[in-house]
Amino acid sequence: MKLIYLLIVLAPLFGAAVAGLAGGAIGRANAHRLTILAVAVSAGLSLWVLYQHVSGTATSFNETIYTWAMVGDLRLEVGFLVDRLTAVMMVVVTTVSLAVHVYTVGYMHDDPGYQRFFSYINLFTFAMLMLVMANNFLQLFFGWEAVGLVSYLLIGFWYKKESAIFANLKAFLVNRVGDFGFLLGIAAVLFYYNSLDYVEVFGAARAAPELTMSIFGTEALVVTVACLLLFIGAMGKSAQVPLHVWLPDSMEGPTPISALIHAATMVTAGIYLVARMSPLFEFSETALTVVLVLGAITALFMGLVGLVQHDIKRVIAYSTLSQLGYMFVALGASAYAAGVFHLMTHAFFKALLFLGAGAIIVALHHEQDMRRMGNLRRYLPITHITMLLGTLALVGTPLFSGYYSKDAIIEAVHLSDRAGAGFAYVAVLLGVFITSLYSFRLYFLVFWGEERIDPHAREHMSHLPRYVLPVMQWPLILLAIPSVVIGYFTIAPMLFGGFFGEAIFVAPANDVLALLSEKFHGSFAFALHAAVNPAFWLAVAGAIVAWFFFNFRPSLLPMVNARLKPVIEVLENKYGFDVLYNQGFAGGGRLLGRALWRVGDQGLIDGLIVNGTARTIGRLAGLLRGAQSGYLYHYAFAMILGLLLLLSVFVANWQGWF
Amino acid sequence: MIEKVIFYVFAGILLAAALLVITARNPVHSALSLVLVFFTSAALWLMAEAEFLGIALILVYVGAVMVLFLFVVMMLDINIAVMREGFSRYLPLGALVAVIMVLQMLLVIGAAGVDLSGFAEATNPALSETNNIRMLGNVLYTVYVYPFELAAMVLLLAIIAAIMLTLRRRGGTRHQDINKQVRTTKAERLRMVRMASEQKNEQ
Amino acid sequence: MTFEMPQFALAAPEIWLGVMACVVLVADLFDRSKDSRIAFFLTQFTFVVAIWLALSTHWGEGVQHTFNGMYISDNLAGLLKASMAALAALTVGYSRDYLLQRDLLKGEFFLLALIALLGMFVMASAASMLILYMGLELLSLSLYAMVAFDRDSRVGSEAAMKYFVLGALSSGMLLYGMSMIYGASGSLIITEIAATAASGQNGLLLAFGMTFVLVGVAFKFGAVPFHMWVPDVYQGAPTAVSAFLGSAPKIAALALFLRLLVEGLGDLHAQWQLMAIILAVGSLAVGNLFALMQTNLKRMFAYSTISHIGFLFLGLIAGTDEGYAAALFYAISYGIMSAGGFGMIILLSRRGFEADMIDDMRGLNDRHSGFALVMLLLMFSMTGIPGTVGFYAKWMVLQALVEAGLVWLAVLAVVFAVIGAFYYLRVLKSVYFERLEDPMPIEAAMGTRAAMMGTGGVVLLLGLFPGALIAVCRAAFGL
Repeated sequence: MKLIYLLIVLAPLFGAAVAGLAGGAIGRANAHRLTILAVAVSAGLSLWVLYQHVSGTATSFNETIYTWAMVGDLRLEVGFLVDRLTAVMMVVVTTVSLAVHVYTVGYMHDDPGYQRFFSYINLFTFAMLMLVMANNFLQLFFGWEAVGLVSYLLIGFWYKKESAIFANLKAFLVNRVGDFGFLLGIAAVLFYYNSLDYVEVFGAARAAPELTMSIFGTEALVVTVACLLLFIGAMGKSAQVPLHVWLPDSMEGPTPISALIHAATMVTAGIYLVARMSPLFEFSETALTVVLVLGAITALFMGLVGLVQHDIKRVIAYSTLSQLGYMFVALGASAYAAGVFHLMTHAFFKALLFLGAGAIIVALHHEQDMRRMGNLRRYLPITHITMLLGTLALVGTPLFSGYYSKDAIIEAVHLSDRAGAGFAYVAVLLGVFITSLYSFRLYFLVFWGEERIDPHAREHMSHLPRYVLPVMQWPLILLAIPSVVIGYFTIAPMLFGGFFGEAIFVAPANDVLALLSEKFHGSFAFALHAAVNPAFWLAVAGAIVAWFFFNFRPSLLPMVNARLKPVIEVLENKYGFDVLYNQGFAGGGRLLGRALWRVGDQGLIDGLIVNGTARTIGRLAGLLRGAQSGYLYHYAFAMILGLLLLLSVFVANWQGWF
Repeated sequence: MIEKVIFYVFAGILLAAALLVITARNPVHSALSLVLVFFTSAALWLMAEAEFLGIALILVYVGAVMVLFLFVVMMLDINIAVMREGFSRYLPLGALVAVIMVLQMLLVIGAAGVDLSGFAEATNPALSETNNIRMLGNVLYTVYVYPFELAAMVLLLAIIAAIMLTLRRRGGTRHQDINKQVRTTKAERLRMVRMASEQKNEQ
Repeated sequence: MTFEMPQFALAAPEIWLGVMACVVLVADLFDRSKDSRIAFFLTQFTFVVAIWLALSTHWGEGVQHTFNGMYISDNLAGLLKASMAALAALTVGYSRDYLLQRDLLKGEFFLLALIALLGMFVMASAASMLILYMGLELLSLSLYAMVAFDRDSRVGSEAAMKYFVLGALSSGMLLYGMSMIYGASGSLIITEIAATAASGQNGLLLAFGMTFVLVGVAFKFGAVPFHMWVPDVYQGAPTAVSAFLGSAPKIAALALFLRLLVEGLGDLHAQWQLMAIILAVGSLAVGNLFALMQTNLKRMFAYSTISHIGFLFLGLIAGTDEGYAAALFYAISYGIMSAGGFGMIILLSRRGFEADMIDDMRGLNDRHSGFALVMLLLMFSMTGIPGTVGFYAKWMVLQALVEAGLVWLAVLAVVFAVIGAFYYLRVLKSVYFERLEDPMPIEAAMGTRAAMMGTGGVVLLLGLFPGALIAVCRAAFGL
């Protein structure tokens, strides 16, 4: 087993190393063959591992692979913890990654950085696997930072594009804020539980849940502080309000990346983290409330912003933000399994939507503005069908995967009695309507209505190399299948069958899914239940509104826009977060920095220490350089002087002069 | 008592000669002083009943090494004036350092007072029963075989290094190759020239 | 003294090297090829077998003495020998191409390297002052000859002359100190000296001798103020020799220190600690400050060596087993980095051109990004940036210092390390950010290239997974 786990992790690393270091030598075709093969190996083995876990032949694996260093009693190790939660994540990561790899062959077909790109995404797969398979906080942090690094590299992949550079810098800075909290969280865990190993930490937390620490003059539960700090890390990585600002901008990167990293896998690391840390979070009511409320805010308000975007990728990006909010709501309601379940279904249909968008973008020669699309169903029939399936899954059409996961979350929140659960329930319900509205807005604007395509782009569409569109459509079809059916088949075991077993810990008092399971009578019945479910009717309403304004009577739209002008302005400004951050924090920071630079750097350090040091060193060196004259007898004399010095020290020591 | 007197006489000569080695203006005088140093040390060794070492010192160092050394010194034309340039300039500083160091060493060694109890009592049989060479031979290939072999390696290394640094095969040097001479054939050495007889030119 | 038959098998590594030196000497006579390839391959074969022999003979076999207590076989000896042989193999591997290009390649070079390694082995396993000295002289004499290897080079001969005279001077001091120690303890055997030191008998005399011994050891390390030969010799010697000189012999110097001052005079730690602090701080200061001003890469490496030796001394100063293990780890990792640094100069040099100026590194990234990456790793490692082996070396030393309560020294060391970062990064600036007008292609042979890549890989690999080497270094001191 150990060998297989190692192989799963190392195959992409090997691919990344070869494609990255010897990309020029092996050529484009071999680079993609090799990297795809590497990910395929990982994906195949991951599926096998999941199968083993599901069929019960494999038990949870927790072993140290390599002891990196010993610091006192602290072991810094590389180790794998593979249980069912991990296995699910591994399958999601590797299969989506595989689809994206294949898709990239078409998407990047004319890009000069072809090998570099494959190397990066292979590296990303490695890092993400390290993250989810970690059995200790150190490796988790390594994976956490590594995926962040690759994300940074990939957002700025087109490093000659001004906006891409800005976007990756932004992502980097915002993530630093999150990582700072994360690191403090790990430090708190290490300090109070004396270990970095998951099992040991969880054991220590369970043994002493009432342990307190004093912080800012008040006593606080250690577990609360640690969880909140860790959650700050999760907020950064999973783009929750108020650390969400980097994700929409990250759409400057190539679309396969948006699908893989910024929709399906990396951004869900925060979800995974909280689910994995459930044995900690369960002891802190406060932390869970914070998770719940912030998730609900993100779910509702970020969906609203999606309504006014024109860039096709940004719409999907805001949709991602909103869906991540749903997942956090589930976690906050102690329905961890529902969060992870939504993570999985979302990974498939969101990757599908992104890749579909990418296919459109490539076909239209890198046109992303929905105002210059329309009626594309004629040109891209397969993309159209698969995108429609993805949209239906996203809005929660009964029997589609999204329905099961999202409805489970809504029901779970409904049943939860945690503080803020009432607000969260309203937010996620309204969110359903918003989701449906922006999703169908996108769908109608792109595939229906009048054709507003740029003549250039149309020209381009007929000149694409013949392999490009098919190679991009296969992954779409591949992803469409799980997007539609996976919920139907997996909801029963994952949510109510105790699938995750020991991996997720829920205190009996908090177990809303257990309550929900009493109402659950099979997947099909759950789907029929939609008829008496407000969420379903809200989704239908959203779809109808979208159809009405964006397809049936688009002429009415300007009138509505004019009426809602103030609201739309707020939305277009994204609630002013960017302004606040750019001018408030960044600008203030710059001002402060300049002031400190003037006084501290120029005055004190440069004047006194640096330049002063340079001068002193120069003088001293001049003196010493005289000794390094090249004359043998000078050297010999220096040695004698050295001997004299040591002898003097000896004599002084002996006489007790020191 | 008499032994002590003899010891101090030889030791005094030794120190004086050693001083001469480094102060003599003429390198030949220097080398000859060194010969004297060796002689007196040999005498000291003899007094310590290490007659083999004493004799070896005279045979090897005085008889071979120093004579060779003298040859070299005499063959080279060394400019005495240049060699001693700067001597007086550095003398005060050097002397100061030397004095301080000697004082320190005297201070320490004087105070330390050597306790020789760490040395094993000499168990050698009386000289009449054995001799120096036999005793050396007994330990050299047994107890001290490892350093002895290492010393052999040092000598081998010295030979290799010396040859490597000095042996040059310059092109164009004339040398005899017996093999070549023996294997030579008529064709290589003899050239038959046929020419018409010349007319003697009148002057 | 009673004689008992020595266990020759315990000295298998030394015997193997000695025998092979003779074999190479004879074999080279019959080698008609221009590039002494028989001698080269035989030598490399000897090195590789020596690594194996050292480990199989000494490692994990406990402490054994033989040759009437003059020879010691323990874990430390095994590790020291294996690492020295490995570094010798690496640096000799680099040198072949270099010597060939300059018509210097002769079998004697390999012979000298073999005997130098024999000297180092002897020191690593010495349990008697006599043996230590014999090993030291075997090593030193070989090195003098190697430095003078390019007979037609004036700077080379000058460097060799300086090295020789100063080396003789330091040997004299070492011998004087040893004679004092012998006088105080009545024995040449290290364990008996240790017993005397522990008993406190003749303590003053012992400490007096120790002072002189420390001078001799410091000279071998090249610690300030006995460092003057280092820059001149590193610069003047053929680069291949500098590479050899800068790696394995440093570990041998550490062996000398450990055997003599730690195992023999460990009880005088309080006495030599202060002196070692002076040496260490002086080395850190002089090494780093002078390195800042160099334009010649070999000279810069020389001063950087001095500063690294200062760091290594800090580990010894701590005076704990952790500190000694840290110093050992430092010496080994520094040996690898140093070999890599000089290897890079060799790699970029070609017939009639010595790439030994920092400016010669310009535009390396454009010429070959792989080697530029290796250079990056080497410089990062010398600076001590995490992810490379140099980081752990520094970190272990600092940790040992702090545990020994010498926090101020640790702080000082970090300050100097930061100063050091400047000149290492300056090299990288040349490599990555400066352009070279009409760059020449790199002409190095495949072997040299592979060795270079291997060195970079080892630096990175040990930086990522230092656990094994750390564990081995600690095991050598029974931790």
